[in-house]
Amino acid sequence: MKAIAVKIFESFLLILAVIVFNFVLIYLAPGDVVDALSGGAFGDGREEINQLIREQMGLDQPFHVQLITYIGNVLTGDFGFSPIGNRPVIEMIAPRIFPTLLLALCALAFAVIIGVTIGSIAARRPTSFFSGGLTVFALIGFAMPVFWTGILLVLVFGVWLDWLPVSGMNNLRLSSSAGFVERALDTARHLVLPTISLGVIFLASYARLSRASMLEVLQSDYIRTARAKGLSEGPVMIKHALRNAVIPIITVLGMEFGVLLSGAILVETVFNWPGLGRLAFEAVLTRDTNVLLAILTMVSATVILANLVTDIAYRLVDPRIRIGDV
Amino acid sequence: MGIGSTQPLLSIRNLTVRFGTFTALDNLSFNLDSGKTTAVVGESGSGKSVTALSVMGLVTLGTRAEIDAGEILFERKDGSTIDLLQCTEREMRSIRGNEISMIFQEPLTSLNPVYTTGDQVMESIQLHQGLTRRSAKDKALEMFEMVRIPRAEKVLTDYPHQLSGGMRQRVMIAMALSCDPKLLIADEPTTALDVTIQAQMLGLMKELQDQTGASVMLITHDMGVVAEVADDIVVMRRSKVVETGNVYDIFEKPEANYTRALLASIPRLGSMTGKSEPELFDLVLEANER
Repeated sequence: MKAIAVKIFESFLLILAVIVFNFVLIYLAPGDVVDALSGGAFGDGREEINQLIREQMGLDQPFHVQLITYIGNVLTGDFGFSPIGNRPVIEMIAPRIFPTLLLALCALAFAVIIGVTIGSIAARRPTSFFSGGLTVFALIGFAMPVFWTGILLVLVFGVWLDWLPVSGMNNLRLSSSAGFVERALDTARHLVLPTISLGVIFLASYARLSRASMLEVLQSDYIRTARAKGLSEGPVMIKHALRNAVIPIITVLGMEFGVLLSGAILVETVFNWPGLGRLAFEAVLTRDTNVLLAILTMVSATVILANLVTDIAYRLVDPRIRIGDV
Repeated sequence: MGIGSTQPLLSIRNLTVRFGTFTALDNLSFNLDSGKTTAVVGESGSGKSVTALSVMGLVTLGTRAEIDAGEILFERKDGSTIDLLQCTEREMRSIRGNEISMIFQEPLTSLNPVYTTGDQVMESIQLHQGLTRRSAKDKALEMFEMVRIPRAEKVLTDYPHQLSGGMRQRVMIAMALSCDPKLLIADEPTTALDVTIQAQMLGLMKELQDQTGASVMLITHDMGVVAEVADDIVVMRRSKVVETGNVYDIFEKPEANYTRALLASIPRLGSMTGKSEPELFDLVLEANER
């Protein structure tokens, strides 16, 4: 328990460090939101207007004052105001968090469940046609950029076959009186292609990793012991081999969650998915620094949280880790 | 065959096992008597462990091994005799861990690191005896006390890495004997242990054998261990049986050169006096000459 409390405290410090780093990065970038706002303004009074806006937004304050004010505000849950959206940032971000998390978690579940399953099956017969096919599939999966997979899926399943929706999270023509189940099913249909598009590269990675991990575990003495007890292959594979084989996969999961979220930006853009990724893309184009900072903070916090969960899961799966609590 | 001429518990006849083009067992035959300890001795790579795994029906699982010929006759708990090589995988699963158990050389790697020792022993008991979890736990505790594990109740909830080498091997023995097998195969059970623990383990195995009446196939290359616990000996070299017989006969009058060399290889206090380098045995000389 003490180790977990220390980890949580470390994570909190890390989030603070990330906020400072992101703030410095955006502060050092040339131009600001005021330039974007007054981009179309002209005439003699332009500089005065810009100055006035900067004063109103506190952008005329020294760097350290701006930073301390920002951190203080963030700690109280205030991410500032978006002059582009003309709303508090939190109001713009809040409805976008769920779609992004839904997409990321579905892609992760898709990649882990299918990847580990086919990797484990391939490890049972490493010289089989299936196992060889997995290697080729993994190579193709790695090689396909996320946006390209997305466009390909849109073309095949959306345009040619017309099986699945290719844009947004819900059908706009869905009646407002539609019940929860009907809405959930509609969201699920919209989720299929973005999930596959985002998950396929990770699926290839987990399939390869679990195949290699399973192959190693299946050579272990304790697998021979399990068979010598008279256990059938099902319990040997699932109970004895898989639990040991997933340990390296859990490690990679935590590390790759950040990569997954960055992939979500591209997928959300391709599929017009109303998530944080698309909002971040728009914020970059409009130099909406408050929105961008808030999204970067949210994403960093999520990645740090994912790593914290990984650390805890690691301890749950492998009892040997508990002894050396860090 | 030399040993086990009447009512053997296990009879291996003309067994040939190949790994691709390599012959791991070449026309192997010997018998193993009920209630006795038969030591299978020989150098590394002579085929001792492949023999044990063939009896368990594990030699072909997940390997390239093929059984070319032979039969392994085993007298079951119900008195019937079957050829283990003709059994279906389902039949073999009902025999493994139940009628024939096995303990391995390295107890740390032979126990699953992510499950408690109690869970691993209970799994075997529940599988073969159909007991509830509660009853299986009681039985596991009884087995731990039988192999003299101190604080047995606590050790049931310990993970393998939390125990010493000797304790882990006691857990392995408890697991192997939990279903009261007729045959216990011990594949170099003391090799990974230090000398004092080795002596304890051998003593314990002998005592448990007397209690349970199980036969033991002891695989080792340590002639000192053989002298201490074995009734009969099967000497193997290069995939073949070189010599079989009663332990007293073999130690007193070994017939094969290889057996003589094996016996001569046991280090004796003072045997190096006056020599500047270790002695080369006949077999090493023979190999160097080839």
